[in-house]
Amino acid sequence: MGLRIAKLLSCAAAAALIAVAPAAVAKDILILAEDVPAGFDYDGPSAAIPSSQQGMVTLMDPLITYAAGATNDTGVTLPDFSKFEGRLAESWSFDAASLTWTFKLRQGVKGCNGATFNADDVVYTFTRAKSVSGAAPIGWFLSNVGSIKGFGVEVFGKDAKAKELGDAVVKVDDYTVQIKQGEPNALFLPVLTIFGLLIYDKETMEKNATAEDPWSHKYGNETNAPGFGAYCLNTWTKSEEISYTSNKDYYLGAPAVEKVTVRRVPQSSNRVVVLQTGQAHLATGLTPREFDSLRSKDGLKVGGVTGNENMFLHMNFKSKPFDNMKVRQAVAHAIPFDQIIANGYFGQATQWTGLVPSSYPGFKPTAQFKHDPAKAKALLAEAGYPDGKGLEAFADAFRLSYVSEKESTLGPIVNIIQTSLREVGIPATLDPIPQTQYGDRQLVKRDLPFAVNDQEKPIGVDAGYAIQLFFVSADKGGLNNMVNYSSAMVDETWGKARVEPDMAKRSEMVGKVQEQLAADVAWLPIVEYKTQWAHSAKLSGVRWYPDNSLRYVDLKLAD
Amino acid sequence: MHAMLTRYVLKRFAVGLVQLFGLTVAVFFLIRLLPADPVSRLVGMNASAEAYAQAAHKLGLDRPVLTQLLGYLGLGEEPGLLQGSLGDSWVTGSTVASEIVQHLPVTLELITLGFLVAFAIAVPVGMVSALNPGGKTDKGVFVYSLFAGSQPEFWWGLLLVYVFFYQLGWAPPPLGRLSPMTTPPVAYTGFILIDTLLAGSPAKFVEALHHLMLPVLVLAFILSGPIIKMVRQNMVRALRSDFVLYGNAAGLPRKTVARYALRAAMAPSMTLIGILYGFMLSGAVLVEIVFSLGGIGQYAVRAVLAFDYPAIQGVILVITAISLIVYLALDLIHAAIDPRVAY
Repeated sequence: MGLRIAKLLSCAAAAALIAVAPAAVAKDILILAEDVPAGFDYDGPSAAIPSSQQGMVTLMDPLITYAAGATNDTGVTLPDFSKFEGRLAESWSFDAASLTWTFKLRQGVKGCNGATFNADDVVYTFTRAKSVSGAAPIGWFLSNVGSIKGFGVEVFGKDAKAKELGDAVVKVDDYTVQIKQGEPNALFLPVLTIFGLLIYDKETMEKNATAEDPWSHKYGNETNAPGFGAYCLNTWTKSEEISYTSNKDYYLGAPAVEKVTVRRVPQSSNRVVVLQTGQAHLATGLTPREFDSLRSKDGLKVGGVTGNENMFLHMNFKSKPFDNMKVRQAVAHAIPFDQIIANGYFGQATQWTGLVPSSYPGFKPTAQFKHDPAKAKALLAEAGYPDGKGLEAFADAFRLSYVSEKESTLGPIVNIIQTSLREVGIPATLDPIPQTQYGDRQLVKRDLPFAVNDQEKPIGVDAGYAIQLFFVSADKGGLNNMVNYSSAMVDETWGKARVEPDMAKRSEMVGKVQEQLAADVAWLPIVEYKTQWAHSAKLSGVRWYPDNSLRYVDLKLAD
Repeated sequence: MHAMLTRYVLKRFAVGLVQLFGLTVAVFFLIRLLPADPVSRLVGMNASAEAYAQAAHKLGLDRPVLTQLLGYLGLGEEPGLLQGSLGDSWVTGSTVASEIVQHLPVTLELITLGFLVAFAIAVPVGMVSALNPGGKTDKGVFVYSLFAGSQPEFWWGLLLVYVFFYQLGWAPPPLGRLSPMTTPPVAYTGFILIDTLLAGSPAKFVEALHHLMLPVLVLAFILSGPIIKMVRQNMVRALRSDFVLYGNAAGLPRKTVARYALRAAMAPSMTLIGILYGFMLSGAVLVEIVFSLGGIGQYAVRAVLAFDYPAIQGVILVITAISLIVYLALDLIHAAIDPRVAY
């Protein structure tokens, strides 16, 4: 121990001697990440990239958010999903008869460019969303998910009128806004917390608009995201570095950390090494093994939370033999859950017992698969493939795809899965493919037969939202039904639950849907793994949000 | 002579332009054969048919391929190659030209320094080992080039980071070209060593040099292996040639003969260096990743992985153009070294 400290101290001392740069002042922090924002426009091309979302939530604030809940034993605070809390909105009320929400807005809120927040900024934000003028209109999409009036697919037609806001969002006075829904839908408040409906500073956006680009997409992609957030953009070099300074006028009080610098360090082992020398304060995106290696280091802490990250096996109903329920069940019983948790995630995961994140409201534990190779073999025999005989005809279907960029995390796991499947007679092979190709085959072509997926984090915090996204039939609006699952029961029940105003009834229906999904092995849920951050022991206040981005305003740095 | 030279250079440029055009068209069609559709990355979770169509329209992918090609070349309504526009990146929305201008100098600086250091080591070492074949230096060179070439550069990079940064503290952390806490100078040229000097900041110049120390060392280490071998082989061949035998027989000093032989040996070695330079433009990517240097190699890899067509095309075009210029420069140097080469 003494030696290790001495080594660390000598490294730090030598580095301090060599560093030509002036030492950082106490309230500045350096974060090492896989990447920095590629753009700030949430309707733009980079919005699907997590590092870009991190930039958006740093610069802009939503109308509402989830209240803080308990803090866990690793020092991470979780949200309380049963309670919303005002951000740019101070209070709100709902009139069920007219499906109208009235928001009272906060007064005296100042943006980084000196603009004062008011109702015009909210109206601007929704008008821009409905213009669907960006490459990937997420503002529209979330408004559509929350059933805001007039945000239907007709906006994509030729009729220019359909792209206008109309009376869906109305300014009552400078600090009151009304938003109308087209039908009752419990997802309305949850979508307002998401990055794709953060409120813009209208004044600055309009100043940077041009005739060809009236909604300032280019400005958002290349320059800044003017909002009313806790931090202001200081410097930004794409693919390299970004720094933010605190917004001294922030309405919840000036942030404790005055300057945040995020540096792109592509090699995760280098993020580990630099964090260990004390020259950086926080590192994200490490592999489970690396997080594990840092857990016991002096001066460092690893915070983690079972949030909404999970890993499951994807078996496509349109690929034989996965249309055979017995085969699906056989695969389910061949998976050694405990071994994956121990060797793939170093204990920082738990078996996933449902098909939506267990932290979400409406979750029901319905999937209770146990590792039982004998049962798996029996099920294979019942399916007509005793000891796997006959399955060699489906060699292509048993190519287990996964994202090649995630090799360092998923490599050990897919190997465990392959070995276990082979033990019961299933001829699985491995097929790593690039992220974009994986995404294309999953989302657009929907032709991946067999895959390991660890990247589905339903951003709307609600079991129903996850069901609509992943399990409703494609022709009934299932957007990301990657396994071509189709169940009349699920479609019908969710169709009713979606517009059910009585939350108890809705919850019961959503529970029934989850039972059906588990019975059909719609996905084979394997684990929920922890979202983790490694940081200096002096840094505290890490809070988890469903988008898995940090809010630097929560962080505190001890002297 | 001058007129001939000018005509030769102009001819090479004309041929280069034709090559670039052919390559542009070929790459344009080839990337469209890649086994994935770039739209899916853009729409993400919002993959309804309507949103998909909207994204495809924004990227221009809903138009016939020939129209897309004409548009890219600048024969459509929007500015294209002919107007000097490489288009906008589909990942960041920034212009591809501005991104290449940001990334390219990083790599050029890195590999140029790497080559200079490699050259400074390889030529004398190769020469000495050729002059005493089988001697100690020669044996040492054999082991060295076997050693340097047999391990991948990222492994050397990680090893050097571990030893010189983590263990010894001699090197700065592998966090790019300057410490994250240092305000970078205004990017006049994009070359950090030049920009820090232009900004009148010798302290930052030294810092940049310090940050370049390990990556340049890794590159020089990797590159010097093949260059030493090449210089040595050519040198051995030159030493056996008639004019060297004649020089020796005529009693010229050993030094003079060695100088003549080196000149003869350098011509073919330059060709190898030219090819290696072109290769390293994108081949330095592993070193860039290890040392967090946002160079053109990393940019190219990201563009390919994201199926960012305009960025892929822009990178290929620029790297090819540089390679063509390097080859031309080499041919001119070749001719200067070897008077038998005619234009």
